[in-house]
Amino acid sequence: MAKHGIMVIDDEKIVGDMAKLSLEQDGYEVETFLNGESALERLKTKRFDVVVTDLKMKGVDGLEVLRTVKKLYPTTVVIMITAFANLDVAIEALRDDVHDFFPKPVKIKELKASIKRALGTAAK
Amino acid sequence: MAGSLLQWFKGIVGREHGAAPDLAERFRAFQAVVEGNNRTLEAMTEMGEKLGGDYLFDVNYTRRAYAELFAAISDSLSHFDQLTEHRYPQLGETLARIDSLVQRMLTSDEAVSSRLVVFYPEITWDLAEEVGGKNYHLAELANSLQIRVPEAFAITTAAFSAFLRHNGLEERLAGLAAADDAALAGLRAAILAGGFPEEFTAALAAALATIRPRLGEEAALAVRSSAEEEDGDFSFAGQFETVLNVPCTTEAVQHAYREVVASLFQASAISYQRQLGFNPGKLKMAAGCVAMINAKCSGVIYTAAAGKDRSRMAISAAWGLGKGVVDGLTDADLYTVAKGEELQVVEQRTGGKEKMVVNRGGQGIETVETPAEQRVLACLSQAEVLELARQAAAIEEHFKAPQDIEWAMDNSGRCYLLQTRALRMDEPTEEAPALEQAAVAGDYPVLLRDQGVVVQRGTTAGKVFILRQLDELEKIPKGGVLVARHDSPHFVRAIPFLNAIITDVGVPTSHMASICREFNIPTVVNTGQATTVLRHGQEITLRAGEGSEFAVYEGIVQHLLREERQGAARLRELYEFRRQKYIMRHIAPLNLVNPLEQEFSPEKCQTVHDLVRFMHEKAVQALVEFAERQGRGLARLFGGRTPLHRLNLPIPVQLLLIDLGGGLQDGAGGKKVDVEQVGSLPLRAVLAGMLFPGVWQNEGLALSGGDLMSAMTRATDLTGGGQELAGTNVALAGREYVNMSLRFGYHFNMLDCYCSDKPRNNHIYFRFVGGAASITNRSRRITLMAQVLAEYGFALKAKGDLLVGRLSGLDRREIETILDQMGRLIGYTRQLDALLDSDEMVNTLAGRFQAGDYRFDP
Repeated sequence: MAKHGIMVIDDEKIVGDMAKLSLEQDGYEVETFLNGESALERLKTKRFDVVVTDLKMKGVDGLEVLRTVKKLYPTTVVIMITAFANLDVAIEALRDDVHDFFPKPVKIKELKASIKRALGTAAK
Repeated sequence: MAGSLLQWFKGIVGREHGAAPDLAERFRAFQAVVEGNNRTLEAMTEMGEKLGGDYLFDVNYTRRAYAELFAAISDSLSHFDQLTEHRYPQLGETLARIDSLVQRMLTSDEAVSSRLVVFYPEITWDLAEEVGGKNYHLAELANSLQIRVPEAFAITTAAFSAFLRHNGLEERLAGLAAADDAALAGLRAAILAGGFPEEFTAALAAALATIRPRLGEEAALAVRSSAEEEDGDFSFAGQFETVLNVPCTTEAVQHAYREVVASLFQASAISYQRQLGFNPGKLKMAAGCVAMINAKCSGVIYTAAAGKDRSRMAISAAWGLGKGVVDGLTDADLYTVAKGEELQVVEQRTGGKEKMVVNRGGQGIETVETPAEQRVLACLSQAEVLELARQAAAIEEHFKAPQDIEWAMDNSGRCYLLQTRALRMDEPTEEAPALEQAAVAGDYPVLLRDQGVVVQRGTTAGKVFILRQLDELEKIPKGGVLVARHDSPHFVRAIPFLNAIITDVGVPTSHMASICREFNIPTVVNTGQATTVLRHGQEITLRAGEGSEFAVYEGIVQHLLREERQGAARLRELYEFRRQKYIMRHIAPLNLVNPLEQEFSPEKCQTVHDLVRFMHEKAVQALVEFAERQGRGLARLFGGRTPLHRLNLPIPVQLLLIDLGGGLQDGAGGKKVDVEQVGSLPLRAVLAGMLFPGVWQNEGLALSGGDLMSAMTRATDLTGGGQELAGTNVALAGREYVNMSLRFGYHFNMLDCYCSDKPRNNHIYFRFVGGAASITNRSRRITLMAQVLAEYGFALKAKGDLLVGRLSGLDRREIETILDQMGRLIGYTRQLDALLDSDEMVNTLAGRFQAGDYRFDP
């Protein structure tokens, strides 16, 4: 079976790096992006199973990423992370069909569990 | 009327004691210290957890968390200063030092270090970043391996930043990622024309003045790049400039320095950085100023021949300076040395050596024809080849990877090593890894498997060093596998140099465990049998996975290691992660343990945790002293009441009580008071628990060190004055408040409680740290206490042998019930660490305690 592809977008390198390292250990294929623009560019040519994105970024933010992903690939799952747990935004995002919403720091185990659930492989 | 009496009284006491504030004011400061310390410790354990590798975090989180911690400890410190009348000014300095170290790591864009120049002998492992890889590695050869390297100093990355800042070039760096060739050329031109900040010039001049007399008349330096990661994880070989034969003058070195710095921004170097995933504008460059060796001959050593044969090393040699060999200008002599048990020259080829590079004094260097009679001579004798090989083998061993080493020999035959860096290996590509793995691992006997707890995962190999005595710690070779009966915080200083740790007994929550995780040292504890199964000196490979999944193979399983290296290449990119995590080293470790020891001094405070511990101890002491002084003053003036009392307890504990008002029943007083006379509601509740039948047991515990018991419960003679108050058990008590500091042997309880009819105001803070038994047992005791306290709804944070708990908002009755239980817990757990030899015991005894059964026996 082909590996599941995960896109991670965060304007801080350390977040993408750590996510990549931990998710690759679980057998995912991970690509990281430091801003929304480069991620959208990549999405033109590649579909990912899961997109994990920071909400607040300069330029193209997480909500814009979400909308684009949902337009291009309705079945791709989006998980939102952000520095502050802002409920209003969370609700708006959820209405827009975000699979999960995590305030930073994000417990990696929880992120992994959420991804597993999203991919429907939790019950194996 | 009462007011004026108080005024008058304050005046008297004020005159008597240097305008000291009154007890109530002191007490408020004390409470603020307690509160600040608690917030600090909570923030500390919280941060430790979030930065531990189980969470995705960004630098904003780290900054925020640290800011909270710093605010808390600063708050605590300012009230502490007030309370102790600025008796410990050193603490402020210590905190400032810690803060600057942490800030430096948090502000990755800016090295704040004031050190612009560092001489090689002063380069320690924590300076690797500041002096860059090349300087660091060369200094390490001299400092750790006692290998001869030339006189040298480093110009730090802080100097680099200062130079760029001085010339207004920082903004240009920000846009570097997208810069084209023309922009880079512009930047290089600006650097080559750049001026130097005054302090840079001064530091350089001073360094040159120091080094000049050591080098003699024709002193000259090589000024070379030493970028942060250079020669470390990534080789950057040949990417940056080296300027040879630079006269020892400030002007000449600055000129060369500009060239070296400019080379960081050559188009080829920038594209190389981009390929490696570096952000080019972020890389900082240190420089090395290394004395030129007037080389008779020089060359290069590959400790793995042809970049792949690890059983042999190749040594090349040619007349003159090494540049001839490095740049491939000349047909050098070539020696092949077999490594094995004993080094042996197995092949020797004398090259043509037509050209040589020579030093032209102040005029730089020159390539000349080698005189005919010299060409046919071999540069090195057999003995010299073997000596070089021996040093190279030691270096390879030290850095745990094949090395590419430059050497030079001066006219008197003294050999110097000039540079060492990881040799790029031609690894065979793996075609069928799964199959190969099965075959390879299958060939190696499994010595240990799956019985134990993995603290840090990873695959590594090395020679077993079975540690029987702590003082042998120094003898463990770098890159060894430390095998010990117990885990120990004492291993910490060796950890950065070890390849792995395996213990018979231990817990994944210990201080040692957290350091192992910080340094990514594969570690397995609680194997039960490592010291009996593994042999001293045996070569093993450890592969540690999740949970209890691990295996120790006999021998070096190359395949597994190769696999690990591929993973590690990714780990190394998490430079930011390591950096941020490293902050905890300045915060969490507790070095000050016993207040009765000389070591318990402001000078010994190294971490935030130390500061907290020290401040609490001295804050209590200051209050006791003050109360005593005031008591004496009052007694003399009025024959009146002293606020300081000694409690008569039916258990062997001496406890001082400072009455803050309402701490004793109306009418009670005198030097000694009985439990019944205590008026403080919370203190009464705690004492009721401590004195509950069966809780306070003195028998049956085989505690190592027989005199511990006597030290355990002593309250020092009050007539003795300040010094002897260290470590005293003290209760500061008001009608609705108590703060108790109890030190039993090597552990410390702090309980702070407000217990009134207004639930909103009520709280209990509890802190417990330390113990005399092993860290394993101590953390078991913490687990037990946490289990019990969690039942009452405490918010708890635990790390190693520290437990911090907080509870608030309950009504008075509930608080009193909990305090009673806490009094029992304090009494009950006092020597419990000596007993908790298994995790099952923790559950058993916690269950019994909750059921009101205080027996220890199985």
